[in-house]
Amino acid sequence: MEQLLEFFTDPASWSGDTGIPNRLIEHLAIAFLAVLTASAIALPLGFYIGHTGRLQMLGINIANIGRAVPSYAMMVMLLPVMLGLAPVLGYDPRLGLRFLPIFLAMVLLAIPPILVAAYAGIQEVDRDLTESSRGMGLTERQILTGVELPLALPVLVGGFRVALLQVIATATIGAYLAGGGLGRYIIDGIARRDDGMLYGGVVLVAVLAIGTDVLLSWLQRRLTPRGVRIATELETERAGAAAP
Amino acid sequence: MIEIRWDWIANHLDDVAEKTWQHLQLLVIPMVAGFIIAFALAVLALRRPGSVGPVTAVTGLLYTIPSLAAFAVLIPITGLSLMTAIIPLTTYTLLILYVNTVAGLRSVPPEVNEAADAMGYTRSSRLWHVQLPLAIPLIMAGVRVAAVTTIGLVTVAAIIGGNRFGGLGQFITEGLQTDFDTKIYLGAVGSVILAFVVDGALVALQRALTPWTRARTEGS
Amino acid sequence: MRNSRRLALGASLLASLAIAGVAGGGALVSAQDQPTVRIGSDGFYESQLMAEMYAQALEANGFEVERQLGIGARPARVEAFESGQIDLTPEYVGSGLGFYVVGSEDEELAAIEVSGDGETNRVNLQAALDVAGVGATVLAITAGEDTNAAVVRADTAEELGVSSISDLAGVADQVTFGLPPECEVNALCRGALEDGYGIAWPPAQLELLPPCGAEMAGALEGNAIDVAWLCSTQPVIAQNGWVVLEDDLDTQPAENLAPIVRNDFLEGVDGGADAIAAILDPISAAVTTDVLTELGVRIAVDQESIDDVAGEFLASLES
Repeated sequence: MEQLLEFFTDPASWSGDTGIPNRLIEHLAIAFLAVLTASAIALPLGFYIGHTGRLQMLGINIANIGRAVPSYAMMVMLLPVMLGLAPVLGYDPRLGLRFLPIFLAMVLLAIPPILVAAYAGIQEVDRDLTESSRGMGLTERQILTGVELPLALPVLVGGFRVALLQVIATATIGAYLAGGGLGRYIIDGIARRDDGMLYGGVVLVAVLAIGTDVLLSWLQRRLTPRGVRIATELETERAGAAAP
Repeated sequence: MIEIRWDWIANHLDDVAEKTWQHLQLLVIPMVAGFIIAFALAVLALRRPGSVGPVTAVTGLLYTIPSLAAFAVLIPITGLSLMTAIIPLTTYTLLILYVNTVAGLRSVPPEVNEAADAMGYTRSSRLWHVQLPLAIPLIMAGVRVAAVTTIGLVTVAAIIGGNRFGGLGQFITEGLQTDFDTKIYLGAVGSVILAFVVDGALVALQRALTPWTRARTEGS
Repeated sequence: MRNSRRLALGASLLASLAIAGVAGGGALVSAQDQPTVRIGSDGFYESQLMAEMYAQALEANGFEVERQLGIGARPARVEAFESGQIDLTPEYVGSGLGFYVVGSEDEELAAIEVSGDGETNRVNLQAALDVAGVGATVLAITAGEDTNAAVVRADTAEELGVSSISDLAGVADQVTFGLPPECEVNALCRGALEDGYGIAWPPAQLELLPPCGAEMAGALEGNAIDVAWLCSTQPVIAQNGWVVLEDDLDTQPAENLAPIVRNDFLEGVDGGADAIAAILDPISAAVTTDVLTELGVRIAVDQESIDDVAGEFLASLES
């Protein structure tokens, strides 16, 4: 444990490219980018499924595939592919080594919770509400954006919470393939037999994950109208744990 | 670029079977242990609602410890044994199983609970005979997610544990050590197939346990 | 009542799965009611090959063997050996010695030399183990060795006109290095590059990858790195026509392999260290660099199983 303290009190740990601030930013960057990209894919699909009730099985199956793929395996399989595509698509092969495999694996990991939160959140909106909106003359699009989305927002944020938590914890394996982020401390700590670095990395990841979770949890509560809050607490837990 | 040697796979089916069996063991043991713990905690949540916050926080905390680190940290303590893999795999299931079990038990409409009380059920028989069956859909949803996630995590164990534990993940590490694409893909794709099979089995189990919801699950 | 039957079905299904799991799980953690030798190795296929050879040879001589091959990188395997979880392991005498002495805070250890001669390294490794208080014996070394190699693609060698690591120092800024994460604290890696060859540390472009593995080779092949830290007997080098940069300053130590055995295990053996040596020494003597390379090709290229390759080699020794 003294090694752990040494790690955190050593000024070298806090400076430069390999310092904690930099690694934190790298880690957050990958996590946010992955969740954003996953959202771009999962949200439209989820809203469609939730609003129209069609393509349910597709949604469920996509969610399952995303969860079933072990991230480590996905990353490792993507490596030769990403390296091979570099000359074809014209990007630096080093991106294909240290960024793309882990990034894509994280996107796949983040899709299921967001997708499920999207369609579950929309589906939970009271049908009476949407019916009366239709009766009032609102278009489907207006119903989705004006009625269903605001009411589904807490559930959505719940989905983001789960996605971000999983991505933050799992992005550490990227360091195995020359990646950066907090996983670097864990992989290097193991390789160099430096327990301080290893445990330091673990603590940092845990703090980051919990910190973002607390933040999003606060956001989730802020976005919930009081009356709805009580009713949707259940839905949040269900969707957050991703239940079709 | 990537070449798969199907003949190698055909010649090593017994190896595949062995690794798959090990993978399943590394799935079932943590799931059962995790479920028992999560269920006990969920029942506690019913009696003491205040415990939900702290328990969720602790299981969430355990969940955030990267599996890679957990395995590495445990080797000096539990050695190169199976326990080193099972302990973190179990703790990872806790969050999902706990949250879903609590949600499931809470989803029982209060009128049903009251009716049960009126009919003379004791608290414990009400739990086992009324609340639990109705909670099964949500609980099973959690079990499914936990199972599939665990299958994925088992492969990570192979990075640390080498050839002792890691199930199909061993194919991946061995393939990386000897630059053998076939093994790498066998391990990875095999894990995905296994996950689908297990998920399918769990869905079937759920249907068997809750015939009254069959109409609903198919439609919803 | 129907509910409770469903419940019973579900519960018994779960229970039977659990029992199957526990029963099967029991088989994975074997009982030790007989004196057995637990042999462990690193993840690198060559280490596993040597360990498998030792294992089969000992089994042929009446020992029961428990295998723990492919433990991961050296630090994990050393940890397992020192803490008594394994009794015997193959070690590269150069790197193994370096692991204990280079950069050590213990003066006595730091004074022990890592040389370019295999036998010297073996003797020094034994000395280092004794000083470090690891009760173990280093048996005879293999005839052949497998050294660390800085490898570049053929086109890189041509373009930059490099054939040795010294040449690399001049163009270090223009290339991307692929090095293992432990390189930074490993004086045989960083020390050699920085102090020996004058390559600035850290290199301008550096990617950290597991050494001697498919990832490192793949990255070199895919142009993500230009200089890869591989192992000299890896077939992938010759297969791709890559160029091994000459270690002209002889910074890399002699890396013959030798079995290290725990003394507490030896005490329980009839005949002690001599008995084990009598079984394993002849094997080591027969393992030349050519043998290592040839068997490496069979494992890493032809994808034959390590068990078979080891078994066939041992059989060939008897004829």
